[in-house]
Amino acid sequence: MVSEKELREIVEQVIAELGGKSSKDMIEQVVQECTDIDNTDNSELPDITTIDLKKQLLVPNPENPEEYLSMKAKTPARVGVWRAGPRYKTETLLRFRADHAVAMDAVFTNVSEEILEEMNLFTVKTKCRDKDEYLTRPDLGRKFDDEEIKKIKDKCKLNPQVQIVVADGLSSTAIEANIKDILPVINQGLEGYGVNTGTPFFIKFGRVPSMDVVSEVTKADVTCLLVGERPGLATGESMSAYIAYKSTVGMPEARRTVVSNIHQGGTAAVEAGAHIAHVIKEMLDQKASGLDLEL
Amino acid sequence: MKEKILSVGIDIGTSTTQLVFSNLTIENTASAFSIPKIRIVDKKVIYKSEIYFTPLRSAIEIDGESVRKIIEKEYKRARIQPEDVDTGAVIITGETARKENASMVLNKLSGLAGDFVVATAGPDLESIIAGKGAGADLLSKTKRSIVANLDIGGGTTNISVFKDGEIIDTTCLDIGGRLIKINPKTMRLEYISEKIKKLAEKMRISLEVNKEIRINDIKAITNRMSEILEEVLGVKEATEDLNLLLTTKDLKRNYNIEYISFSGGVADCTYEEDSYSNNFQYGDIGIILGKSIKDSILFEKFSIYKPPETIRATVVGAGSHTTDISGSTITFTKDIFPLKNIPILKLSEEDEKLNYQSLSQRIKEKVEWFNLDNGNQQVALSLKGVKNLSFKELQAMAESIIAGMKEILNLNIPLIVVVENDIAKALGQTIHRYLGYKKDVVCIDSVRVENGDFIDIGKPLANGRVVPIVIKTLAFGY
Repeated sequence: MVSEKELREIVEQVIAELGGKSSKDMIEQVVQECTDIDNTDNSELPDITTIDLKKQLLVPNPENPEEYLSMKAKTPARVGVWRAGPRYKTETLLRFRADHAVAMDAVFTNVSEEILEEMNLFTVKTKCRDKDEYLTRPDLGRKFDDEEIKKIKDKCKLNPQVQIVVADGLSSTAIEANIKDILPVINQGLEGYGVNTGTPFFIKFGRVPSMDVVSEVTKADVTCLLVGERPGLATGESMSAYIAYKSTVGMPEARRTVVSNIHQGGTAAVEAGAHIAHVIKEMLDQKASGLDLEL
Repeated sequence: MKEKILSVGIDIGTSTTQLVFSNLTIENTASAFSIPKIRIVDKKVIYKSEIYFTPLRSAIEIDGESVRKIIEKEYKRARIQPEDVDTGAVIITGETARKENASMVLNKLSGLAGDFVVATAGPDLESIIAGKGAGADLLSKTKRSIVANLDIGGGTTNISVFKDGEIIDTTCLDIGGRLIKINPKTMRLEYISEKIKKLAEKMRISLEVNKEIRINDIKAITNRMSEILEEVLGVKEATEDLNLLLTTKDLKRNYNIEYISFSGGVADCTYEEDSYSNNFQYGDIGIILGKSIKDSILFEKFSIYKPPETIRATVVGAGSHTTDISGSTITFTKDIFPLKNIPILKLSEEDEKLNYQSLSQRIKEKVEWFNLDNGNQQVALSLKGVKNLSFKELQAMAESIIAGMKEILNLNIPLIVVVENDIAKALGQTIHRYLGYKKDVVCIDSVRVENGDFIDIGKPLANGRVVPIVIKTLAFGY
C-alpha cells in the first residue's frame, strides 16, 4: 500500500515531469480524491452473470451488428468481446471469472438433502471419503464398500427391468436443476410402455462406471445413470444419462448409450426424460445398448 | 444414416401442366451423444417432365382424362411406380384453380400421385410454393434481405415476399400471358378474360373476339399490366385498377424490398434478350408482357435476381418444398397415418398466457366455435408451448388440453396436438397417460402453423422418429 505521504510525492513528481507548476492546492485535491473512502458507492453490484452472452456484442461500431448477433445466437463461445490493448476488457474478464466460479461451485457443493428426500432417494457412497479424494482418485469413484453394497441389496427391489440411479458426478448443481423434472417423466414414460422399474437411489461421489456395480448387484436388465456433467463456462447445470443393457464391471465403454447436454440451453429435462424412456424401451426390445443399439 | 424420400410435384396451371420428381434426403444431424435432430439435408430434382399445354375442355374446365394420360406417360418415362412415391403435392393453379376442377382431377389422379398429396392450393399457398421453387426464400436468407418473387404464369401473377428465409406476405393478381389469346396467323383475338376486358375498356381500348387486333393496343395493355405490378410493389401509387386485378388481399407494403425475381412462363421473356421471331408465336401476349416488364422501372428500382428455375418454379416448389418433417422427439401411439386435411385450431399468444384452468376453458370455447362453423370433425390443436417447462407445468398443460378437447375426445378419432417448441414427446406421453392409455394420441413438435391452415401427416420415417408433414396455408396473413 502506498501511504498518503508517498502518494503526495508521486503526484508532485508527475506534475513536475509534465512541466507544470505544482500548486499545493492541486496536489491536496488529487490526494484527497484518491484517499477518500467515504466516496465509495456502496450499492449492490449488478450481477454480470445475468447478461445473456449470446445477445451481448462488445465490438464498437461493428459493420453489421445484426449479422454478428445472429452468428452469436448460434454459439455460447465468447466471440465479439473486443479488447483493451492485447487484453480482455474488464467486463469480459470479470464474466469469465464469474462463470468459472459457477463451475467450481457446481463441482464442490453437495446435492441438498431436501431434494434427495423430496425425490425419495436414499444415499449410497462410493469409496471416496471427500470431494478432494473424489477428484484425485477416479478409480475409487466407481467402487463401493461392502456395507454400501449391502445397503443397495437391502433397500432395492431386485431383478427389475430398469434400475435408475442418480449420481452427483462433477456437478451437484446439474442434479439439483434437473432431477425434479426428469425423474417423474422417465417413470411416466416407462409406465406408458408397460416397463417395471426398481428402487431409484443416489450415489454420492459417483462416477459413470459406478452404474456397472449397481447393475450387477440389482440384476437389472437396463441401468440408467443420471449424472452431473463436468461443468464448462457455458453452464454448470448440464446433466447426462448413461444407459446400458446388462452392464458389467469392466465392460467396454461402447456399450453405453449417452444422452448428454440436458439443461435449459440444451435439451429441456422433460423432453429428454421422455426420450430416455423411449431409448430404454428400445434397449429392452433389442436386448442391446451403446453401439449395438439401433435407434 | 441417410434416408431418401421420393416426392412428386404436379402443377396443373392455366396454361401449362408439369411434373417433377425430387429426392429429399433426411439425416440425423445431431451427434451420437445427443437427442436426435433429423433434418432434410438435401433436396434434389431427379426428373423433370416436358412442359405440356394444360388440356382444357373450356376456358376454365380441365380435361381430367387427358391430364391423367400425361401424368401416366411421365411416370413411365421416369420409370417410377406410383407406390414408390412417399409424398408430394398436386396443385391446380391460376384460373383453373376451382373447386370443381380440383375434386375432378384429384379423382382422376387417385392412385397415381402416391398416398400423400395436396389437392388444391389457393392463391396464398401457390405464391409461397412458387417463391420457394424459385429460391427466393433462400436468397432472402443468404442476403439477409427482403426478396419478392413474381411468378407470372398464364392466368395469374403470384407474388410472395420473403424476409430472412421466412414468408412475410403474399398476393395474387389477374396478370398473365394467356389472358388474351391471339391467332398468330390471322392476328385475330381468340379470347380475352373478363377482367382484362374491363381494364381495356377503362383505357378506351375495345377488344372483341374474332376481330383483328392492333399491336399498339396490346402493348398499351401489357404496359398497363406492368405498371400495376409497379403499383403492387409500391414503386408507383396504387390506382383503382390494382384493386380490379387483385384476386385476394393486397400486399401490405410495410417493408422494403431489395431484390425481386421473376418466375413462371412469362419470366423467361423478361430475362432473355429479344430472341423471338414472332411476338405471337405462342398465340398469346406472354412475350409482349415480358418485354413490358423488362422495360419497366422495376428493373431500376430493385436488384434483379434470376432464379435457377423460372417456368418450372411452381412445380419444383410443389415437388421439393411442400414436405417438411416434424421434430425428432414426438409421440404417436399408433401408426394411423396418413392423416389428411386436418384443420388447425390455434391458440393465440394471449390464450397461452392464461392459467391452466382458464386455458382449458378457452380451448373448449374455441372448439365450440370451430364446430359451429365446420360441424363436429377432426381438428388439430396447435400451440406454441413453453420451451423449458417443469414436470408440474407439463402435467397441468396436459390436463387443460384434455379438459378443453373433451368434445373432440368423445368422437371416435385420435387426439392431435401440434406444438412449436420441442416438448411433444413429453407432452404426448403425459396426455396419453391421463387418458388411461385408451385413446390414440398424436403429438408432434417443431411445426409452426396458423389458424386456417390444414396439415397432412404422413407415414413415419427414420425408424418412427419423425413424420413428414405438409402444411397447407390457405389463409396466409389474415
